[in-house]
Amino acid sequence: MSDFDVRYRKWEEDTEKSLQKFPERKKSFVTSSGIPVDRLYVPRGAGEEEQRAYLDKLGFPGEYPYTRGIQRTMYRGRFWTMRQYAGYGSAEETNRRFRFLLEQGQTGLSTAFDLPTQIGYDSDHPMARGEVGKVGVAISSLKDMEQLFEGIPLDRVTTSMTINAPASVLLAMYIAVGEKQGVPKEKLGGTIQNDILKEYVARGTYIFPPKPSMRLITDIFAYCSEHVPNWNTISISGYHIREAGSTAVQEVAFTLSNAIAYVQAAVDRGLDVDTFAPRLSFFFNAHNNFFEEIAKFRAARRLWAKIMRERFGAKNPKSWQLRFHTQTGGSTLTAQQPDNNIVRVTIQALAAVLGGTQSLHTNSRDEALALPTEESARIALRTQQIIAYESGVADTVDPLGGSYYVEYLTDEIERRALEYIEKIDEMGGAVQAVELGYMQQEIREAAYRTQMAVESGEEVVVGLNAFRVEDEPQPELLRVDPNLGKIRAEQLAELRAGRSQRDVEEKLAALKRAAEGTDNLMPYILDAVRVYATLGEICDVLRSVFGEYRPSHW
Amino acid sequence: MEYGMEERKIRVLVAKPGLDGHDRGALVIAQGLKDAGMEVIYTGLRQTPEQIVAAAIQEDVDCIGLSSLSGAHLELFPEVVRLLREQGADDVLVIGGGVIPQEDIPVLKEAGIAAVFTPGTSIQETVEFIRKNVRRHESDSQAPAGPVEPPEQIDHIGIAVSSIREALPFYTEQLGMRLIHEEEIADQQVRAAFLAVGESTVELLEPTSSDSPIAKFLAKRGPGIHHIAYRVRDVAARLERARKSGYALIDEAPRPGGHGKLIAFVHPKSTGGVLTEFCQRISE
Repeated sequence: MSDFDVRYRKWEEDTEKSLQKFPERKKSFVTSSGIPVDRLYVPRGAGEEEQRAYLDKLGFPGEYPYTRGIQRTMYRGRFWTMRQYAGYGSAEETNRRFRFLLEQGQTGLSTAFDLPTQIGYDSDHPMARGEVGKVGVAISSLKDMEQLFEGIPLDRVTTSMTINAPASVLLAMYIAVGEKQGVPKEKLGGTIQNDILKEYVARGTYIFPPKPSMRLITDIFAYCSEHVPNWNTISISGYHIREAGSTAVQEVAFTLSNAIAYVQAAVDRGLDVDTFAPRLSFFFNAHNNFFEEIAKFRAARRLWAKIMRERFGAKNPKSWQLRFHTQTGGSTLTAQQPDNNIVRVTIQALAAVLGGTQSLHTNSRDEALALPTEESARIALRTQQIIAYESGVADTVDPLGGSYYVEYLTDEIERRALEYIEKIDEMGGAVQAVELGYMQQEIREAAYRTQMAVESGEEVVVGLNAFRVEDEPQPELLRVDPNLGKIRAEQLAELRAGRSQRDVEEKLAALKRAAEGTDNLMPYILDAVRVYATLGEICDVLRSVFGEYRPSHW
Repeated sequence: MEYGMEERKIRVLVAKPGLDGHDRGALVIAQGLKDAGMEVIYTGLRQTPEQIVAAAIQEDVDCIGLSSLSGAHLELFPEVVRLLREQGADDVLVIGGGVIPQEDIPVLKEAGIAAVFTPGTSIQETVEFIRKNVRRHESDSQAPAGPVEPPEQIDHIGIAVSSIREALPFYTEQLGMRLIHEEEIADQQVRAAFLAVGESTVELLEPTSSDSPIAKFLAKRGPGIHHIAYRVRDVAARLERARKSGYALIDEAPRPGGHGKLIAFVHPKSTGGVLTEFCQRISE
């Protein structure tokens, strides 16, 4: 028997064993014509050289280097998690949208916070003017967080939170809500984005300078590995890098460079790589160039596996696995003929699924105009459900594996991304590259090239620079209550009057001392949150010790 | 003579009001306007309307382009226009862009935003709009009138100092110049010491508050020559000639400068970096 046959048989046997614990969705899978569909298709009977290349570059799903996916059965076992990003206005309103989405069959929550929350300002801060509740829910204290998850048992959902600079504070609030519901933190599941480097590069909701920010992140890694073992402590994001205008190759390269910086920071802090690496997760974009996007996900998986095993010497296979969430590309949507966006989203979502995503957010058609209405949000979710239940693409693992074109693109993306990663290594790593403005500059140039290509008509955007219609009807849009800022200010005044000021001051003082020293800050933040110290108060303490980041490049 | 005759470029401030971090559009537009031959200043993220207006005035821009994708436009864009008016800078063209629903556009226009560009607008459209609508038409810069007499003399040289007391000995003891008098000019938030040298004077200027233009000058460039004032027969005529030639004026009309002088300033941006004053004696 050839090496290939031996390994394939071994994979089949191991997979059979795992089925007892994780059965597939159906006993057997067939096409609409009754043709049986196997779990996996491999180059059986191919030449020796081809099989060797297969083992080297693709391997089997659930095994190193994970090109074909991180699970053995992928979506034959369980579909990806359908996780729609939602949040606007007050905690009560978002709580209603959460419950609506759960009723509609969504399987995980994903919280959007407003900009003041993301930048560590309470709703009544002068800088919050005009922004309260606009792009997400306004959360200033544990009280708001309690309202946000009212009636949603935290041991029955997983929650993703798009929060970065003040991630520790929001995680602490989530833990505290769990405590009130009687759910111990060991049982909480979810994700915080917690990826500050891409904030400097592309997204803009930074607070502190890079060094203390990296400390906050490694504090979370250390705390969660001990106390919140099922929590994804970071979601290293290429999404926003791509939205800012990068190419697919840059998206992979800059994301993995940032990831390397986080791992290195934690290792330098003395953490064993295998204690925290299994909880790292990733977040990618899905744009329109269908096969390139599929190849991108496969290339990223293979690259990361090699980086973790070879560069960081990780031993636990979980440390090698690149698990990722995908969101379809907001910047590909047009304000013109917004219903066309449903089709774009479908293509992008399909690419994510064929690329092996673990969870997916499909954008709503009206996102180039405003926050999604309930109807638009429902169509977006239905798009995923149609792909899952009707298209049959989930019935076999990595259906495009072995396609000459897709494998070629996968190799090319890996090779070109690696060139960037090596260049960033030479600069001294991602933190230095960010401070030098290198990634920012590369992205800006790519964005400008795209704009020029669209304006010249070289790149066609349907409905925008071709196939236009005159006099488009205006769709219904969602409006956030313009008085929310005022209402929130009143609520906060009430909160501050009703809590023990002495407790708050005491806990904030303890946090300040800890921040000046080297203790893990998570327990101090949790203490402050429990006595209803606000997000803004906690961040102000940290600002007073850490200072604020001011970009020197644009 | 061709000196200083080149057309003044249109100056645009691209600004991100509020907390929104989406700057792809702002950066692409900034680059596009630059490529179209304009001078572009980008504020960076997280600017309050107050900061934006202060930057616009300081940079003497012709146009402000506001970008917001977070839904804060109805509150923040009109505030920029209001503050510009309050500070007498309402000749600055204000335009906006971002994720802005159609139905908000009339509201913004009502508030003084000249145009709103939503996703999908080409850079070319924006460039053309700005060219057509900025107040300071480039077509004004026709050939200037014929030859002109030189100024009568240097009236005075203004020198920015952190402290008059510390700066004075160099002029009085080392150079032996005579201190004519000292005074505080309240509206300029400055204290001035006048030293005679022949028919001219040297003015030492010390800020009396951190908001003083001299304080800003010191912060930006350190102590040194602040401006040169030329004595001319007719400030208004000089000003009109400079305006027609496309120089950036700080004062659109002559104003009283104290001590029987009529004065007006020309912006250093268009004079090769020297703040230039015309100064006319109307009584002795």
